[in-house]
Amino acid sequence: MRTSRLEKVLLNVAVLLVIAFFMLPVFWLLTTAFKYGRDAFAIPPRWLFFEFTLDNFKNVLETTRVDRFLLNSVIISAGATLLSLLLGVPAGYAVSRARTRLLNGSAYFFLLLLMVPPIAMLIPFYLIMRDLDLLGTYRAVIILDTVFDASFVVWMMRSYFLDVPQEMEEAALVDGASHFQSFRQVALPIAMPGVVASALYCVIFSWNDFLFALLLTSPATKTMPLGILASFSAAQIDWARMAVLCLFAIAPAVVVSLFLNRYFVQGLTMGATK
Amino acid sequence: MNANQVSRRLTMAIATLSLIVGGCVPATTQAPPATEAPQASPTSAQPYAGVKLTLASMTDQYIAGFRYLIPKFQEETGIEVTLDELGYTDLYQKLTADFVGQTANYDLMTVDIVWSGEFAANQYTHPLDDFMARDSAALKMDDIMPVAWTLGEWEGKHWAYPLAGYANVLNYRKDVLAAAGIEPPKTQEELLAAAQALTNPDGSMYGIVMLGAKGSAVAQDYMVWVQQEGGTILDADGKPALNTAENVQILEYFGELFKYNPPGATDYWWDQRETAFRSGQAAMMEGWSIARAGYEDPAISSVVGKVDITFAPVKSGVDAKYGFGGWGIGINADSDQQKKEAAWEFIKWLTSPEIQKEWMLHDGAPIRRSTLTDPELVAKFPWLPTLLTSFENGDGDYRPRIPQYSIIQDALGTAVNGYLVGEMTAQDALDAAQAQVEAALK
Amino acid sequence: MSLFSRSSSKRDLPPARRRVNVAEWHYLAMLAPLLVFVVVIAIYPLSFSFFISFHDYRLTDPTQTKTFVGIANYLAAASDPVVARALGNTLIFVAGTVILEIGVGLGLALLLAAETPLMTVIRSFLLIPMAIPPLVVGLVWKSLYNADFGVIPYYLKQLGISVGHGPLGEPATAMAALILVDLWQWSPLLMVIFLAGLKSLPREPFEAAVVDGASRWGTFVNLTLPMLQPVFLVGLLLRTMQSFKVFDIVYATTAGGPGSATTVLNFHIYTVGMTFFDMGYAAALANILFVVVAVLAAIYVAVLQRQQI
Repeated sequence: MRTSRLEKVLLNVAVLLVIAFFMLPVFWLLTTAFKYGRDAFAIPPRWLFFEFTLDNFKNVLETTRVDRFLLNSVIISAGATLLSLLLGVPAGYAVSRARTRLLNGSAYFFLLLLMVPPIAMLIPFYLIMRDLDLLGTYRAVIILDTVFDASFVVWMMRSYFLDVPQEMEEAALVDGASHFQSFRQVALPIAMPGVVASALYCVIFSWNDFLFALLLTSPATKTMPLGILASFSAAQIDWARMAVLCLFAIAPAVVVSLFLNRYFVQGLTMGATK
Repeated sequence: MNANQVSRRLTMAIATLSLIVGGCVPATTQAPPATEAPQASPTSAQPYAGVKLTLASMTDQYIAGFRYLIPKFQEETGIEVTLDELGYTDLYQKLTADFVGQTANYDLMTVDIVWSGEFAANQYTHPLDDFMARDSAALKMDDIMPVAWTLGEWEGKHWAYPLAGYANVLNYRKDVLAAAGIEPPKTQEELLAAAQALTNPDGSMYGIVMLGAKGSAVAQDYMVWVQQEGGTILDADGKPALNTAENVQILEYFGELFKYNPPGATDYWWDQRETAFRSGQAAMMEGWSIARAGYEDPAISSVVGKVDITFAPVKSGVDAKYGFGGWGIGINADSDQQKKEAAWEFIKWLTSPEIQKEWMLHDGAPIRRSTLTDPELVAKFPWLPTLLTSFENGDGDYRPRIPQYSIIQDALGTAVNGYLVGEMTAQDALDAAQAQVEAALK
Repeated sequence: MSLFSRSSSKRDLPPARRRVNVAEWHYLAMLAPLLVFVVVIAIYPLSFSFFISFHDYRLTDPTQTKTFVGIANYLAAASDPVVARALGNTLIFVAGTVILEIGVGLGLALLLAAETPLMTVIRSFLLIPMAIPPLVVGLVWKSLYNADFGVIPYYLKQLGISVGHGPLGEPATAMAALILVDLWQWSPLLMVIFLAGLKSLPREPFEAAVVDGASRWGTFVNLTLPMLQPVFLVGLLLRTMQSFKVFDIVYATTAGGPGSATTVLNFHIYTVGMTFFDMGYAAALANILFVVVAVLAAIYVAVLQRQQI
């Protein structure tokens, strides 16, 4: 199928508009991080030509343990994601394939969990973690994040597994493979893009969480969002500081997504070799 | 690589990593540099050496003071203080969780003046009166400005010790006022006239900028004006009386002033109001004195050298009283006795006259008369005499520090904002607020 | 054993039935770890929340008394005009965000589907909005929208459009402005979901369609869309649930204002629970919200699953 010249041009314009829209606020953050505080809101807005300064970076690095915040965020996000995938992907497969009402209906239980406003469970969660003496540990936040992340993963993977044609698995079973092997060797590779998408979601959700992290972390295990929010005082928001911290928070996300994107490609070629 | 190999490797990787990260991180789940045994052992000179405290502090300007002074304190006393910097709402939430859960994660905390009644009623912080009586000689309490005690006093007991005192002052652009031939306003009437005169129809300058955002911002600004207009939101018995005829009139006056605000002001939080003033968009702004030094900082201010402050004007005929606010420092009621003693050492040290000077030089806010009249400090911060007078006539209760404060603030926050955007009349707005407060306090 | 089969002896069953029974056990084994995990962790908070909605419980009460009040909290909610307004606002917000995000997400997935290095990079950058905490996203957009020194009104004014109190300050535009913020942050997520779906689709039907001479649009409508149905369902469902729980961006931008133009239910619950500490009422409101979401979700599932073969 050929695309006409006009279509090509329109598509390129569309791509440019998309980039502009999504990157505008990020670009604003980027320039603000390098501007003096007084220029952050100068009218008319200066996008390219402004007084450049590295003072904000110096200030932040001197007064905030950015490395610690980042490390904590990485540990918690990685932990929650891995645990959620480990628990959620097989569960998603199970509910997609199971015939018994009880089993494939349990998917709705996880759905229910996602519908509850977290605020209603905040204080009980806090009290549990206190009684388990887990306050201030990574585990507390990882466990809580996993409860929600894994429920999401179950639903995501359920739909991707439903899209995997059953004939291939039937063939494997006839050949003598166990269900688990059929899952790992046949269904999983085909649904890999879904796993990647789920992983991405888990990373993002845990990375951005501030409600759970707020209540359950100690100064030593504080995550990036809390670090950013500390720029928020009653009298003023230190925009330059917040912009710098946001940039630190964004960088790993970009790296992770570039990394995960390779698995998208893997999944694509998997599907083609059927 | 074929599907089998990919899948197998992935599974192995996931399993291994989740074992490592999810389950077996015991070594690093607690604060890494902390050791179980105290760093130093107590001596007679340093009786609390080795005790570890955690301080939760608001990230107001004075946090720079904490960052500078805490290492010095450790050197002198051997007490290790870990500083946790928190924004306004997270501070409140974390503290509440800590108190309700009785987890004593924080031994010291900054306490907003308006939380005094609430913390007292729920006994969140340790009442300091015994400590104060015991060490009264060292504390030099008559040097502390009387109004500063509102930063933690409630019904005769002290639930927090004064830490940073703020006066509500009027900041103004002396260049803009001089160019228009206007004197700095001394009364509310003059304020309104000046705001009107200084507002340019083309939007290049607005007379005054205020807080209009729904919630605590507009509620607190409205309460300032109630006080300045000689009104009150509590009746003679100390019960909320939001919808009196007088308060309705004041609300309408408040709305009148808003006409000379930048259009976005109905949505302004503190930081936006500061930005408007600092970037030169407004000629006048009432606000907390602690922000004054920031206007001289070229890194954040476009109006360096052009700002002066004066007393916040009151309505003519009303007794001159100036809004007072700020932060106290409290000790967690659930901390163990040794930590409480060590925490008290910190408070004593921090609020001593010598250290208060250092505090001021590192963006702190004053509580002592000696600090406000120190010649060196006055040379550096020429507005200290104005602050002194404001404190002497300060009113720390214009925002009632009663335990139910947050309910009143929320009700007013919604009502006043609703009025400003034209959703309801002044009378209806305040009636709704009063109804909401009465229902919540039932 | 008797849950899954009527015969006690596996050997008597025909091969197919035998395989099905064994399969169910294997599926249970795969499901069990997560189920146990979630039940153990979440069962107390869930039941506590349900239980407390029938009580009067103020978190800050030193004695922590919980007085049983039956359905008083629910009745109060039903007659509270703020709650009604909040519910209405929530439904508008959810409808706006979900519909727009599904559309934009699908569009982005199609637009940027190519596996060229350029597209890969662009897609990675598009994930940045999600990497920023929603609270910060709200603050950034609040600054961009600021009527007096924000970038967006500046350009709007250049174009001659008056902004009044600003997009977030004018009751008429506040909700739309808020929806745009949410759209900015979450459309890329839908793009990822749809992209994964598109890339999992088998090649043969499409190759067959080309051979049959089908048009691009025809293929899209009759082949791609129906095959993406499970993905649609998931995207719709999960975004809807997330949208109902929106909080951070409302808090950061408008705090529910101006007036009550953007007060959504979850935000109101927060106010009741964390500002007034009236946990019983907050729990009741949370349960009401939960029921609304559950009903909606049930409708989705029923409608979309009936359409699936």
